[in-house]
Amino acid sequence: MILNGVEIRDSFAEAFPMVGTRLIITADTAKWAMIAAKTVTGFATSVIGCGCEGGVEREIPESETPDGRPGVSVLFFTMDLKGLQTVVPNRIGQCVLTSPTSACYAGMEGGAKVSIGKALRYFGDGWQIAKNVDGRRIWRVPVMEGEFVCDHDTGSVSGVGGGNILILGASRAETLAAAEVAVEAMQKVEGCILPFPGGIVRSGSKVGSRYKGMFASSNNAYCPTLRAQTETKLTPEVASVQEIVIDGVSFEAVSACTRAGIEALVALGRDKGVVAIDAGNYGGNLGPFHFKLREIMA
Amino acid sequence: MSGFVLTPRRAFETRVDLAGVLPGVDLSGLTVGYGDRGVALAELFEIGGSVGDRLTLKSGSALLDRVGAGLSSGELVVEGDVGDHLGQSAAGGSITVSGSAGAYAAAELSGGRIEIAGDVGERLGAARDGSRRGMSGGVVVVGGSAGPRAAERLRGGVIVVKGDAAEGAATDLIAGTLAVGGALKGKAGRGMKRGTLLLRSADGLAPGFGDALEHDLVMLRVLARRSPDLAAFLGGAFKVRRFAGDLNAGGKGEALVVPAA
Repeated sequence: MILNGVEIRDSFAEAFPMVGTRLIITADTAKWAMIAAKTVTGFATSVIGCGCEGGVEREIPESETPDGRPGVSVLFFTMDLKGLQTVVPNRIGQCVLTSPTSACYAGMEGGAKVSIGKALRYFGDGWQIAKNVDGRRIWRVPVMEGEFVCDHDTGSVSGVGGGNILILGASRAETLAAAEVAVEAMQKVEGCILPFPGGIVRSGSKVGSRYKGMFASSNNAYCPTLRAQTETKLTPEVASVQEIVIDGVSFEAVSACTRAGIEALVALGRDKGVVAIDAGNYGGNLGPFHFKLREIMA
Repeated sequence: MSGFVLTPRRAFETRVDLAGVLPGVDLSGLTVGYGDRGVALAELFEIGGSVGDRLTLKSGSALLDRVGAGLSSGELVVEGDVGDHLGQSAAGGSITVSGSAGAYAAAELSGGRIEIAGDVGERLGAARDGSRRGMSGGVVVVGGSAGPRAAERLRGGVIVVKGDAAEGAATDLIAGTLAVGGALKGKAGRGMKRGTLLLRSADGLAPGFGDALEHDLVMLRVLARRSPDLAAFLGGAFKVRRFAGDLNAGGKGEALVVPAA
């Protein structure tokens, strides 16, 4: 399949089930809401090394937040519920409770509960107070600045982790510029996050290594400097590859996000240095979710 | 919306117990208490309409007790006054009274909504005699003033009194929210354990409250989002003067003095 000079390879992204949750973080200003959101989702690029994957989902206008202040929604994903129930309160405790003027609310209903105030209230050392309004329990924890307000807990969902696209470009600069355009389009899809720096993972990776104990290593088939030494997936005009990894609350969300990214890249076209779009998989035998690029773009 | 319409046949000579006269109930053949005896509802009221999720009571009276008691769904509309125990132990639905209500209105309410345009008697939303906990959920809005000991032992839910609250409001309040738009007549919040009073003035608070000065509380913004009635009371004011109390009962309750809009 060739679209606007860009080859859409007959490949698919292979993704895995993950457990996810959403938080809504607010603050007196949009700036501080985003600082808290970026901090709480820091060092959350991959479950392999970070214990969870997290990222900013979207900014939320004052009219939609639980307290009428500027907000940001964030998503977290882990391999199992126990992991989520551990990392989420830990991260909120260190990164949101501490962030000036912040408050933290449930971002989804249903599913198994993930603690927010249920765990963090004890910071109040007995001075914390709860309020139950409209059937929902909310905690007020006294802090030096005033009060930290948070919901008792949030819900969770069976999500999908590890959706991805690979952008094969004509130069390093053009490939990165194209990836940035794709990220911008993909970040508009609700229910998804792109957990890597700026949404982009320049290293890529393959599963396993020749070294004992390494779970992931250089994806040599896509490394442009190795094309003379190893079997390569890169045609001669490809000089650089960038990957975008997608985690989402559903198969549909990840699929829509994948399509948004490919559409943005196709709109740039071969003239802007986008040579081909590929996807990472493990032969289809490991992950139950397959995002077939050509079917998504059909 | 279909439903029965009850119109009194004549002035009542004694108190009427309307427990069980609810929306969705077939009222034909129903017997109600009348003084110390039981009489057919049809003997006291002309019954119009048919069974439905709305019940209208025309020409209400202060002699009509337990109106809407135990209501769990549907709409009950009273044109005029009601007696004691309006909506007692109701768990859902809505009750609207265009006049005033007697004692123990919304006592031990656990859900639903009650609006009373006029005044209410003593122990609004309170615990009944011998009971440890008062109203535990739902919303009550009183257009006029409340009698003594409003929200006594309140356990949850929201009560808004637009007028004054007589002596002893929020006595032994356990949790929940009482907003009073008028004056407190004294000894309010005595023995209050937790919960929130929203007031226009600290005058009338029991002596066990300590002044924590002014604060811009994010929590009030959440309350305003989740409760339209409290949003109306707050009128966009989130900077309030906080009094913690009753300090003789743990001090985890609070009285917040909200400037009038």
